[in-house]
Amino acid sequence: MTVIRTRNLAKSFSVRVGTRGAFSLRSLLRPEIRLVEAVKGIDLTVEEGESVAFLGPNGAGKSTTIKMMTGILYPSSGTIDVLGFDPQRDRKRLGFLIGSVFGQKSQLWYHLPPRDSFRLLGAIYEIEPRELAKRTGELVERFGLADLMDIPVRKLSLGQRIRCEIAASLLHRPRLLFLDEPTIGLDVVVKQEIRALLDEWNREGKVTIFLTSHDVGDVEKLCRRAILIHHGTILLDESVKSLKRRAGQRKIVGVRYESPTAIDIPGLEAEKRTPDAAKFFVDSGAGDLQNLIRRLVNLGPVADLTVEDEPLENLIADLYRTGSKEEADELVNR
Amino acid sequence: MKRENAQALLRAYARFFAASFRANLRSAMEYRTNFLIQVFGMMINNAAFVVFWSFLFAKTGALGGYRFQDVMFLWALSSSAFGLSNVLFGNARQLSELVRQGDLDVYLLQPKDVLVNALTSKTIVSAWGDFAYGFVVLAFLGFDPPHWIMFALFVVSGALVFTGVFVISESLSFFLGSSAGITGAATEFILSFSLYPEGIFPSGMRWVFYSLVPSGFIVFLPLRVFRSWSPGLAALVLAVSLAYAFLAAGIFRAGLKRYESGNRIGARD
Repeated sequence: MTVIRTRNLAKSFSVRVGTRGAFSLRSLLRPEIRLVEAVKGIDLTVEEGESVAFLGPNGAGKSTTIKMMTGILYPSSGTIDVLGFDPQRDRKRLGFLIGSVFGQKSQLWYHLPPRDSFRLLGAIYEIEPRELAKRTGELVERFGLADLMDIPVRKLSLGQRIRCEIAASLLHRPRLLFLDEPTIGLDVVVKQEIRALLDEWNREGKVTIFLTSHDVGDVEKLCRRAILIHHGTILLDESVKSLKRRAGQRKIVGVRYESPTAIDIPGLEAEKRTPDAAKFFVDSGAGDLQNLIRRLVNLGPVADLTVEDEPLENLIADLYRTGSKEEADELVNR
Repeated sequence: MKRENAQALLRAYARFFAASFRANLRSAMEYRTNFLIQVFGMMINNAAFVVFWSFLFAKTGALGGYRFQDVMFLWALSSSAFGLSNVLFGNARQLSELVRQGDLDVYLLQPKDVLVNALTSKTIVSAWGDFAYGFVVLAFLGFDPPHWIMFALFVVSGALVFTGVFVISESLSFFLGSSAGITGAATEFILSFSLYPEGIFPSGMRWVFYSLVPSGFIVFLPLRVFRSWSPGLAALVLAVSLAYAFLAAGIFRAGLKRYESGNRIGARD
């Protein structure tokens, strides 16, 4: 079943441009208004059970798109269908079916322990008290919240709070979960825990995940599909596996010699170089890698040699730097 | 079927109100001492005016057709109605701030009416003092049970009018970008006019109390009913207060389409 379908989705904001100084009468009476197109015609479809990473540099239009899908913002044009509903017209009915964790905006009460917030959410989502107790119990066990439920949220660490936050967002058993930067500011261990929990929940078929993150780890560990938007349009829509494979086609070869050596490889420029060491980027196909290693070894006594896949992060950074779909395609298919 | 749906909806909202109220109260009680200080502080603050008015009336006798008792009624009703509005709908005077900061998102994501959800998710602690004050004054004035019931009813209708005025003035921020200050001014205006005998104002000015500054519906008409019972007038007060509430909800809803959300991450104002 299709859970999200957008057609030609667009949103523009009018922004007042301050031109002539703060006290200009003209800018007060007749301000100059500029139209900023945050999202320019997005078509995308997400099927039930998928876990999608929605990527893009800051200001690409990610949050705006998610806010339109969840009914927070009205689109300027285009259509959205989420779980069979129009998010703007049927916001309340859709609310029962979707969950959201926006890293910056909490739905827990700051001065109250999570247990009280859970009770209030139970009333908001109209979960029968008995059923609420059962679900709370399950989530408490699954997310390891037993010791946190009765401590005011303001006294919890960020990691503990986010764990409660995610559990709270699952209380009404949403079929689709929107996560905006869920692991921002968390330490490595907590990040791994949270990814594992979400991954489990998704693989058990309980929820479709739609996530934005600047942490490539979230994408690699949690998502099976990546959609990349930039300047308000979709540049790329690929499986994470094939993206990783493509990134992995480029290898990083590092070499260090026992003494200073003239490291010159004809036709290949080193990315980094010191008197006794260098780093090269090379494609793994067409025998280039083998050639490079053979030459490097022939230059002198080698102290250390490493070959690594280029991290996915580099590919994503390169994609962010491109401006158009054509450039992005070229980069991915190089 | 339709009726069952409506009943289910009412039940769901009643439960939501109760849960919200409980959470608010618990949240306020997290700082118990502060709660008590604010509540009693507000009551003492209000009580100071009783002394002022009693001295004044001792010198002048009736003012604009009002006796000491009547002015105390104005105070009691304004204070309790204002208090109830801020106890139940603590965010009413902060809506524009929520709009400006993009903090309506949380409420927009939940399957309840945005306005009701946003309004009820906060209580103003000192308002509990305002609310209680009116009833204390009433006890001192000494009335019979029917008058207590009337008073309670007008506290509810007055709270609706107050809330309506707050919501309308705060909703202007959807259209103007920011309406900081407007609500403060409107509040001061209404309170100032509600706390003095209607008769001291020139008659040409009184229409204002029944339109722009609805003090008429908050206190003046209720006072007439309180002095001599009139079902028609009482019904009018209730109808107008409901109309105010619905008008406010309509204006808020119209503004909501212009809501632009926001990404506040500790940015400076």
